[in-house]
Amino acid sequence: MNVGELRSQIKGLLVTELNLKGRDPATIEDDAPLFGAGLGLDSLDALQLAMTIEEKLGVRIPEGDEARAIFKSVRAIADHVAKVRSA
Amino acid sequence: MSDRASDPLSVTGLGLVTPLGPNAEATWSRLVKGERAIRPVTLFDAAGQRASFAAEVRDVDLPAGPRDVTAAWSRTSAMAMSAAGEAMRMAGLTAGLRSTRRIGLVVGGTTGGMFETERLLARLHAEPGCREVLADMLSHPLTATGDRLDERLGPFCRVRTLSSACSSGANALIVAAGWLLSGEVDAVVAGGSDGLCRLTLTGFNAIAAIDPEPCRPFDRKRRGTTLGEGAGFLVLERESSARARGATPVAELAGWALGSESHHITNPDPDGAVVAALIGRALDRSGLTPADVDYVNAHGTGTIANDRMEAVALARALGGEIGRVPVSSSKGQIGHTLGAAGAIEAAITALVVARRTIVPTGGLDEPDPALELLHVPHVGREVPRVRAALSNAFGFGGMDTVLVFAEPSRERRGGLRPSSAAPRGLNVAEEQTAAGAAVVVTGAAVFGPCGRLGADECADLPERRFDAGAVVDADGFLDAARARRLDRAACLGAVAVEHALNDSKAPRDGVGVVLGSSFGSVDGCAAFMHRIFQKGPRSASPAEFPNLVPSAAVGHVSIYGGLNGPAFGTADLATSGESAVVQAWQLVSGGEAVRVVGGSAEPRGDIAERVLSGLFDGIDAPVRSVAARADVAAAVLLEAEEAARARGGRILARVEQVLEWRADRALSLAALRAPRAARRSEVVQARVTPSGEQLVAETAWRGCPRVACAPALGESDALGAVAVAVAAGRIATGRIDEALVLGVAQGRGYAIVLAAV
Repeated sequence: MNVGELRSQIKGLLVTELNLKGRDPATIEDDAPLFGAGLGLDSLDALQLAMTIEEKLGVRIPEGDEARAIFKSVRAIADHVAKVRSA
Repeated sequence: MSDRASDPLSVTGLGLVTPLGPNAEATWSRLVKGERAIRPVTLFDAAGQRASFAAEVRDVDLPAGPRDVTAAWSRTSAMAMSAAGEAMRMAGLTAGLRSTRRIGLVVGGTTGGMFETERLLARLHAEPGCREVLADMLSHPLTATGDRLDERLGPFCRVRTLSSACSSGANALIVAAGWLLSGEVDAVVAGGSDGLCRLTLTGFNAIAAIDPEPCRPFDRKRRGTTLGEGAGFLVLERESSARARGATPVAELAGWALGSESHHITNPDPDGAVVAALIGRALDRSGLTPADVDYVNAHGTGTIANDRMEAVALARALGGEIGRVPVSSSKGQIGHTLGAAGAIEAAITALVVARRTIVPTGGLDEPDPALELLHVPHVGREVPRVRAALSNAFGFGGMDTVLVFAEPSRERRGGLRPSSAAPRGLNVAEEQTAAGAAVVVTGAAVFGPCGRLGADECADLPERRFDAGAVVDADGFLDAARARRLDRAACLGAVAVEHALNDSKAPRDGVGVVLGSSFGSVDGCAAFMHRIFQKGPRSASPAEFPNLVPSAAVGHVSIYGGLNGPAFGTADLATSGESAVVQAWQLVSGGEAVRVVGGSAEPRGDIAERVLSGLFDGIDAPVRSVAARADVAAAVLLEAEEAARARGGRILARVEQVLEWRADRALSLAALRAPRAARRSEVVQARVTPSGEQLVAETAWRGCPRVACAPALGESDALGAVAVAVAAGRIATGRIDEALVLGVAQGRGYAIVLAAV
């Protein structure tokens, strides 16, 4: 799977796992901030997202400040997942 | 002012079961010494958990119940039995006294029999659909603890089971205070009990709220809480009544306040405004000021967010006194006992006042410099006096409660004041009600197979027939983005509550909400545990966990609707809807809030459907056995009549009488007013049952037409709330002049008389 497909998959997971009803995954931009003003997600979503990524993509998201950088955007998550997988 | 002002509420007994000891004395002496009871979990296999420390009740001979599985005591019930028994013995509530006095029971909690139910779920995981296991699945509803206490320590004249997550135990005391102030009971045994279980440990781990080390409230290295377990009960009564029978007040429950942050299902509002306002209101009510406060027993969970918010709130509320008042959290020693915490810590706070000894914060090695509090690290200390002390309890969904305990018989300015009925400083209209105020219904809604109906539309609901199995879709009625965290029960509840509120055109500020639910989220708990059994604790869903708390629906509804008044859930089997409406009425008539929505939301559930269809086959409840279960929610807005008139609101009906009973139903029914002559009067019920009919036959309403809701919608434990909405609708549309809404189930009952204004 290339990084573009990975980003699409993550967008799909965002919508289904965080129950973003009515949101078309394709409209989520690669670099849009996920938290606060961006998608409007919060710390509880971050935990759900970390659990989902570990379960569905097989990559564990570290806790704390590292997670904050990884959860910056869909692009950052996909890059992290790709990096861990290729390591 | 009435004698209420000069006749304070006394704590005359208290009992504890905590990780530090099997009774209040053992707990107290170890608390003061600073001992900590936090150890690795032994009650169940905690392998794979992020953090596995807990404060368990160990090496204690908990009272054993009957062997019969359906009547057996859960760990939660056994701890409650011990603590409530101790409190009653201390207060001298002997069997003889119990037969002559009206004594009520209020039980707060969240986990109920989950520890025992988890064993069943593990078996169901191995053997899906096993009938034997399914038959026992509903043996431990949240109501079970109250029922077991009633059997063993009662009889009680009324019993309330409530949940507001981690403020449940504190809110039990507020409900008790309301009962005493209404004059309808002479004494109340009130508290909370919660046993540790896999579900809570796994869930709190999933939301990263557990410290990998034993918790250390207010410490700069704190990383979360530690779960505990236990029970705390207090006996409350009027001081005059206590002294008249020779009982000695330990301390006085001088003030209280409860409200909702309406912010987030798990995270506290960082600005602490609601908590600060509640502290101000609780002090106002007690006639005290921050200068009178000599101690604060903080909620102090040890999570980064809670402790920060609480410090901010205390600083805002206590102002210049903040540097003088010692603050500690008991959770570093006994863990967070969840639904019991508010009651256990209330009992500890009462003892701090009585014994003039401040208890410490265990585990506080390096105080967080960002929290400007006067700490009591490691060990307790004696002080000359504790004139008054605060006990804080905050629950999921932002359900916050503040209690004020004070020295008994103190010289006070003003005494007990009527509540200002709305959180101070929350931009609430200057509305006040006095206790005993007339209450009217100004909004009503039903949501279910019938669609969404307002007050006028539900008037003829009983005459219509809908498909109980219909898919009830809440999506079109709610804002999708704001509703994304709401589970099925919360969605149904939000539709009904929103419609009732919109229908009433009442302002939202200060509105409270009480929703009844018989079994809570059984299917949700089963699915959550199934995943854990299958994939391990790390697969537990952080998003799902908060929805498994019995008060999740009410929390979501208050957040969705921006409702910042009192909020909690009630449970009372098939009369859960009636219990919530009655409780909402008590909050309004007692002056605790100007407007409170009472209702119920019960989605169809796979497990409940399978269990109840099996259980009720062949039992004296023919209607229940044949009626299909439906998705049902209903809500009515109860409002102080004065406030409704002042804003020109449409009054659907007036609440003329409210009764609730347990064993003493004959006594209660004797007080029931008769239908008025030459009026069109009806008996409106959730369902017509032989036991209900037997009851109506004992009253002057026996000749009135019966109206039932189950034939129209299908069976649901929310139907009691539907019956109230329907009765209000029938009166508002002029079909009838008055109605007796009657709800009965297994030794308990409620009667609500509504009449045209």
